[in-house]
Amino acid sequence: MVFGFTKKNNFEGGGLVLFTSVEEAIAAEKVLKAGEYETKLVAPPPELRKGCDLALEINLVEKTGVERMLRAKNLSFLEILPVKSGSELLQVVQVTDFGSAIMVKAGNMKLTFDRGSSVILNVSGGGCPDIPFLHAEMLDKKLAEAPRPRDRGYTLCSLMLDRAFVESLDIWSNGRK
Amino acid sequence: MYLICGTVPRKDLPLTLGEVKFLGPVISLNGAEIPCTQGTAALISAACVTAGHLRLAPPRALLVGDDGTGKGSRLLYDHLIKNLPVMSPGVLLLHYMLPVMGLMKKVCESASKAKKRPFMIADAAAMYAAKAAGLASTFDIFTPDLSEMAFLADPDAMHPAYVSRHLFESDASKIPELVAAAYRHKNAAKTLMVKGSTDYIAADGKIIGTISEPDVPALEAIGGTGDTISGMAGAFICGGFRPLDAARATFRANRMAGQYAGATPATRIREIIEALPRVFEKHLDEWIKTQ
Repeated sequence: MVFGFTKKNNFEGGGLVLFTSVEEAIAAEKVLKAGEYETKLVAPPPELRKGCDLALEINLVEKTGVERMLRAKNLSFLEILPVKSGSELLQVVQVTDFGSAIMVKAGNMKLTFDRGSSVILNVSGGGCPDIPFLHAEMLDKKLAEAPRPRDRGYTLCSLMLDRAFVESLDIWSNGRK
Repeated sequence: MYLICGTVPRKDLPLTLGEVKFLGPVISLNGAEIPCTQGTAALISAACVTAGHLRLAPPRALLVGDDGTGKGSRLLYDHLIKNLPVMSPGVLLLHYMLPVMGLMKKVCESASKAKKRPFMIADAAAMYAAKAAGLASTFDIFTPDLSEMAFLADPDAMHPAYVSRHLFESDASKIPELVAAAYRHKNAAKTLMVKGSTDYIAADGKIIGTISEPDVPALEAIGGTGDTISGMAGAFICGGFRPLDAARATFRANRMAGQYAGATPATRIREIIEALPRVFEKHLDEWIKTQ
């Protein structure tokens, strides 16, 4: 199958966007390239094939930004998966009680908030470039007033921070009842 | 020369190279001021303080603004790919940047073309990119925490967000097993500095040292306490310390600075860094003697 490449594309991103139809895949490639995302049209491996036989390879780390851009353009897709089958996005979180503060850890990200006021005291862990921005935006804000990392970040680190944030909100809300 | 490369939370900062200074609330690079917060700025601050105590030249930094879109990161990678052989730093530390496997491969190729290959340290997403690209064993030091150690031990994970659940749920007692797995899969640097409730130093697949005193549990919650470890380690290596000795001095200093600062979960990283000069003044000579 030929997809109209005019030059060799050696890009290895480790993530696949799966679509129902070839038209959706081609439209998504156009939008993401315009947004300066590195992408490549590929045939998904049989074990990951769910819709059509065309998928878009992306840098898996940019999943959060890619999803947001496709949704903003009303482009539908089935899901975003790692190329290596068997890997799943971490769903589990761990909670550490410091007494006056609670730390919630999701993947490589940790969010610590004040038990009494819900003010975010610290954000630690991670390594992608959006984390220092989110750290600056979230610190000293109450959980209910802080921006959601998923809405501002672009990377998997921000997605993990979002998990920790949502769990923190849940703990805070339940603690008040 | 100690060269630190990373992204910072200032979208307006173009790719900038120069000597960097720690001024307390901010670091200064060619007149640009960057807040001393979690991330590469914290790392640089700790590196400056350590280099100052050792009477070394201040580190140089190659920094760029990047809000997560990766545009700044790509400029940084491109600069390193084109210029590393000429820049030829003695110690090269790669830190916050969008992990892009293909570009990290080219950076490593470029580093190997320098007259003398730099001593290479990676932390944060530079470490993720190096592992995902199969380049881990070409690095001299990685500085993972427990969750990142699970990522290095998982042969399939592209990012810590995709670590197998059973590895993520490993507690600190499993670190020796995670270390062994990372070396077995060639996903470890020559030396691993694993930061946590007990800090572990590993080389060639084996644990060769642990540090657990003073015990300051709040350090884990404070954003930047891992960054300070990488920054200090690079400065000690520049100062002629062997990796094992650099790792020991670094872990002890970080813990002691936490104790001196009276660290709580609300402490900011700048308070820890500001305690470092007192820690070095009081303890470093003694630590060196006992190494």
